[in-house]
Amino acid sequence: MDQQLLNAIFIGSIYALFAVGYTLVFGVLDILNLAHSAVFMFGAAITYSLVINHGQAFWVACILGIAASAVLGLVIEHVCLRPLRRRRAPPIAALISTVGLALIIVAAIEQGQKGSLFGWLWVDGANSVAFPAGTIPNPTWHIGDLTLEASKVAVIPISIALMLALGYVIRYTQVGRALRGVAENPRAARLMGLDVDRMISLTVVISSALGGVAGILFGVALGDISPYIGRDNVEVRGLAVIVLGGMGSIPGAVIGGYLLGLIEVFAVVALGSGARGGVAFAALFLMLVLRPQGLFGAQLREKI
Amino acid sequence: MKRLHLVSWLAAALVVAACGSTGGGGTNANSYSGKTIKIGAILSITGAGGVYGPQSRDGANLAVKQINSSGGVNGAQIALTINDDASDKAQSAQVAQKLIQSEQDLALLGPTLSNSAVAVHPLAESLKTPILAVSTTGIHIVPDCNFPDTKPCKYVFRDSLGEETAIPTNIKSYAEDSKPKTGVLLVAQDDKFSSDGGTIVQNTVAQYNINLLKTIKFNKAEADLSPYVTQAVQAKPDVIFITSLGGIPAKIMTEARKQGWQGQFLGGNGFNTATVSAQAAGAGKGARSASAWYLGNSFASNKDFVDAYKAEYSKDPDQFSAQGYTAIKILADAAKRANLTFSDVAGDRDKLRTAMESVNIQTPLGPFQFTANHDVKQTVWVIAMDGVGGFTLVHEIKQS
Repeated sequence: MDQQLLNAIFIGSIYALFAVGYTLVFGVLDILNLAHSAVFMFGAAITYSLVINHGQAFWVACILGIAASAVLGLVIEHVCLRPLRRRRAPPIAALISTVGLALIIVAAIEQGQKGSLFGWLWVDGANSVAFPAGTIPNPTWHIGDLTLEASKVAVIPISIALMLALGYVIRYTQVGRALRGVAENPRAARLMGLDVDRMISLTVVISSALGGVAGILFGVALGDISPYIGRDNVEVRGLAVIVLGGMGSIPGAVIGGYLLGLIEVFAVVALGSGARGGVAFAALFLMLVLRPQGLFGAQLREKI
Repeated sequence: MKRLHLVSWLAAALVVAACGSTGGGGTNANSYSGKTIKIGAILSITGAGGVYGPQSRDGANLAVKQINSSGGVNGAQIALTINDDASDKAQSAQVAQKLIQSEQDLALLGPTLSNSAVAVHPLAESLKTPILAVSTTGIHIVPDCNFPDTKPCKYVFRDSLGEETAIPTNIKSYAEDSKPKTGVLLVAQDDKFSSDGGTIVQNTVAQYNINLLKTIKFNKAEADLSPYVTQAVQAKPDVIFITSLGGIPAKIMTEARKQGWQGQFLGGNGFNTATVSAQAAGAGKGARSASAWYLGNSFASNKDFVDAYKAEYSKDPDQFSAQGYTAIKILADAAKRANLTFSDVAGDRDKLRTAMESVNIQTPLGPFQFTANHDVKQTVWVIAMDGVGGFTLVHEIKQS
């Protein structure tokens, strides 16, 4: 049981970190950025490619991978969100345009082969790859019945530290106040002299950088990097997490992430392995029926 | 010089033509020479099946090169195209449709995965195009490709060893060696090959007094397998059966060893590629499976293949290379005897199909003939991963 608890906290950390970025954009823009799962994949894929195909050191590759994810955030804002916002398109239009961009990014990575157009980005096509053993030191410890693997254990403090840092920035800094102002009422924020477009760009960039970090941690710890890791592992689960936690609430996304990790793992233990996906979404369904505003829904007015 | 070449070619062509017109020893050289036999291979070069497809491709390409450079099939050259289905069932069927209807290929190879074969094989059957499976080992691949309809499919063949033979052979051999008492099965439930393998394990273990403590099902796209592995390890079984494909068996082995489990891994055809053995590395050492082929076999048709493969690709072949290579040899032998017209594709496909039923050749898999069900019957080699990307031989088991 102990090992399963650790498994749950580990995967919960990834869900939470991914969902925090998801919910941040929703909190400010009232738009679901469905390209977030593509950013998650992109961060992992770029980092892998930099290490394996371009001979970069792992840490350098991580920083560049996170930077590339942030830049992809800018692309999302300038291609999918801003033009529609200018035209006062309904949120559903932005939702569709982010889905479209996500499909394009996945398809582009999927086509990556040696010598092809995207070969400099990714050469493994639809394959799933992993960092070769020894890329980073990854000792495994045994304490009693518990197995602790460094790359998985490290995910937990890194995720928590990043989420705390984000919480601090939003709550206590000038930038955070500005973000909250834009989230509360963009027009009033603009009248107060805030550059609303810039704040929105910043939001998407921070969100994407966090998504990229989540992707890198996922790829390293689970030894699975492919064009589909975002789509298959976090896209819908991320949605479940922010619905559980309350749309737009950062603490909600954190709690929701760990909750989903626990629900999934204990569904496997208590009800059998086939129940993993089903039970998680049963919980989501129950939440929508019984408490549609989510766990932290009471704070909905103060969105982020 | 160029002119001289041209003259000698013309002369040769005249001689060949003359032989043909006078009956020339009863061969089909006349109608074949200068023609092209178009074969389309649908393989999983990328995606989950990407650990198998490239080896099938390399084996098939080697056979084509050998045949074409030694005079072709009665003078006709084989043109093989490799088409990646990215391990996706829908894409696999689309590619098959294109190869059969637009490309007008004479015959098809593949697809790599059983999961895709359930879409591709019935299509080839309905379009009356011979298709030779080179790595699909699930249940109902041959002869009943349209299962639950049990009418035998006439155009579907395979040269790969079905799990219904491979898995029970492997379990029997390990049970006789080590008398295990308990086992846990880890099975990918959303993939035909994997779930078929799981069913076969469940139906086999009781015969050998192995108590299956748990069947743990997961989905093949899940990256985080640790909760399942933890569950398996906590049951403390003697054996963990893994019926899954691609990189998953290697990930399960690595995770289980990290969690301190010391028992025996048993599996099926999914284990039998050097790629999986290399991915599992030390964690996979000793993992056993039944294979249709073994690297160390010294009979001539295998030794020649292994030497040629090494010379071509500077690495060892594996079971999938051998099956891909064998498939081209089978099609070439059938095409040679089929009296093809090269003008009527539908008629030629029928002739090829009929000729395939009577193939009898030496291959790297041993002497090869199809059974009445278009399946294989051959010696099985129980092999174990060696921990460094290869396999060692444990038992050789002749099929009675």
